[in-house]
Amino acid sequence: MTRPVPAFALTLAALVALALALPFLVNRGLVFLAGLVAINAVLGLSFNLLFSTAGLLSFGQAAFSAAGAYAAALLLLRLPEVPFLAALAASALAGAGLAVAIGLVALRRTEGVYFAVLTLAFSELVHVVLAKTSLFGRNDGLTGIPRPRLSYGLGSVDLAVGDRYYVLVILVTAATAAALWWVTRSRLGRAFRAIRLDAMRAAYLGIDVRRRRLQAFAIAGAATGLAGALAAPLTSIVSPDLAHWGESTKPILFTLLGGAGVFWGPAVGAVVYAAVEYATRSLAGASDLITGALLLAVVLAVPGGILGSALRLARRGRARPAPRAAPAPAPAGGAP
Amino acid sequence: MLADWPSLLFNALGWGMATFLVAAGLTLIFGILHVLNFSHGGVFMLGAYVAFTLTRWSGTGGLASFLGASLLAALATGVVGLAVDRAVFRRLAAVDGAYVLVATYALLLVCNGVAKLVWGLNVFSAAPPESLMTVTVAGDVVMPHYALFVIGAGLSVYLGLEWLLNRTAAGRMIQAIAADPWMARLLGIDVGLVYTGTVVLGFALAGLAGGLLVANQSLSPDLAGIFIIQAFGVVIVGGMGSIRGAFLASLLLGLVDSFGSALLPSMPGILFFVALALVLLVRPQGLLGSGRLA
Repeated sequence: MTRPVPAFALTLAALVALALALPFLVNRGLVFLAGLVAINAVLGLSFNLLFSTAGLLSFGQAAFSAAGAYAAALLLLRLPEVPFLAALAASALAGAGLAVAIGLVALRRTEGVYFAVLTLAFSELVHVVLAKTSLFGRNDGLTGIPRPRLSYGLGSVDLAVGDRYYVLVILVTAATAAALWWVTRSRLGRAFRAIRLDAMRAAYLGIDVRRRRLQAFAIAGAATGLAGALAAPLTSIVSPDLAHWGESTKPILFTLLGGAGVFWGPAVGAVVYAAVEYATRSLAGASDLITGALLLAVVLAVPGGILGSALRLARRGRARPAPRAAPAPAPAGGAP
Repeated sequence: MLADWPSLLFNALGWGMATFLVAAGLTLIFGILHVLNFSHGGVFMLGAYVAFTLTRWSGTGGLASFLGASLLAALATGVVGLAVDRAVFRRLAAVDGAYVLVATYALLLVCNGVAKLVWGLNVFSAAPPESLMTVTVAGDVVMPHYALFVIGAGLSVYLGLEWLLNRTAAGRMIQAIAADPWMARLLGIDVGLVYTGTVVLGFALAGLAGGLLVANQSLSPDLAGIFIIQAFGVVIVGGMGSIRGAFLASLLLGLVDSFGSALLPSMPGILFFVALALVLLVRPQGLLGSGRLA
C-alpha cells in the first residue's frame, strides 16, 4: 500500500468504478456532463505534465485539442470505414504533430512570458485557419458527427446506443491517465523535472534540454489531441471556437484549482469547475466570478490547490506521512 | 489590390491608434511591475460598459457627454485599480511568474463575471457622438470622423505619457524604479506608492480606452478578449514596457494587419500572428526593448 504503483492503480480503479456506476445513479444529462468532465480531466492532466513536471506554461493547448477534434470529426464523417480506435490514434498523432511544429518555434523562447504569449499566438493562428478553411467547415465547423461503431473479428458494438459511448470515454480516459502517470514516473519524467528545477544544470548533466522539452510538449499535445477527439462524437459538433484562447485557459484553471504538482490535481479541478458551473447555471456570470475568486485564492493563499492542501492537511493530521501522497511528482506549489 | 494603399494606410493608422489606446496601460504596468496583466482586457470592457451606461443616462449624443463619460469610466476603473493593487498586486511580489500570469487571468474572469451579472449577456451597440458621425473624403480615402477622433485620442495619450515620463519629476521617479527598484528605494523613493500609482494609472487608461472605443464595438462580455491579444502583441513587439516602443509597434502591427488583410483576404488577421512570432524569435527584447520605460 505504501508503494506508489498500487496506490495509483487503486485510485484509478476506484475512479473508474465510480464513473462506470454513474449511469445507474443519475440521469442522462449528468452522465453527459460526467463524460465532458472526464475529457476535461485528460486536458488538465496533460497540461499538468507540461506545467508541473516540465515547467512550461502553455497558453495554447486549445490548438491541440482542436486538432484532435477536427481530425476525429473528419475521419468519422469522410472515412467511416476507418476503425474508431485508429481514428483516436490518428487524432493523438495530429495533436502531437502540431505540438512538434509549434514547439520547434515556441520552445526557442521558454523564459518569462514569451512562451505563454507565443503559444497563445500560435493557437489563435490555428483558430483563424480553422475558421477560414472550407475543409474544416469555416465558421460553422463540422456538424452531425456520428457516434462510431467498434468492430472486431467476431462482432461489433454500436456506441450510439445508450451510455455506451460514455463507457468508452471513461475507459480511454483511464488508459490515458495511466500513460501520463507512467511518463511522469519514468526516466523521461525525471529528466523533465530536472529541467524544470534548473535547466542549465540539467544541460551540464548531459540532458538535451530542448529535445526533452519538445518531447514533453509532444506528449502533452498527443494526450490533448486525444481528449479533443473523444469530445467530438460526444457533442457531435466541432467548431473553430474549440481553438479560441479561452479554451486554452481551461486546463490551466483545472490544474491550479485542483493542485499543480499533484498528479490527480487537475481531475479534482475539472470536477470542481463543472460543479460550480452546474450549480450556477441559471445565474449568468456567477461561475466566472466564483472560478476567478477561487483561482485568486489558490494563487495568493492556497498555492497547493484543493488536492495539494488536502494532502498537506492529511499529512499534518497524522503522525506518519500519508502513503497516498507518495505519487506527488513535486512539492505543492509546482514552480520552484 | 494594393492600388488602394492610401485607404489601407488610413485603416492601419486607425487600427494602430485604437490598439495603442488599449495597450498603453498594459505597457505601463508591464514596464514597471513586470506583470503582464491579463485582466487589462476585462478592465477595458468594464470601462466601455460604464461609459455606455453613463451616456445612455445623460441622453444627449454630444461630444462633451461622450468625453465626460469616458473620463468618468477612467476614474471608476482607476478606483478599481487601487483596490486591485491593495488586494492582489501587492501580494504577487513573492509569487512565481507563471502564477502571476494566472492571477491576472483570474482577475479577468472576475471582470467577466461582474460584467455578466450587472449588464447581462445581451449585446449592446453604441453610436459615436452625432458630431463624429460624418465623414471626410480626401481623394479616394473615406475618413470617418470617429476614426479621426480615435487617431487623435491615441496620439494625445501617447504624447501625454511621453510628457509625464520624461518631463515631470514623477515620471523620472517611475523610470528610476523601472530601471532598478532596489536602488530607487535606497535613494529614498517610496517605491510602493509609485507602484500603486502605476497600477491606478494603467487601469484608468484601460477604462478610458474602453469609453473612447465603445462606439463601433458590439458591447458584450466577449469584448474583453477581442483587443487583449492585439494589445499583448503590441507590448511584446514594442519591447517590454517601452511606451515609445508600444507606439511604434501599434503602427507597425496596424500596417501588417491592414495590408495583410488586403493581400490575404481569405485569412484576415493571420499575418499579425506571423509577425508577432517572427519578432519574438528574431528580436525577443522587442523593437525598443532595453529595460527602459520611455
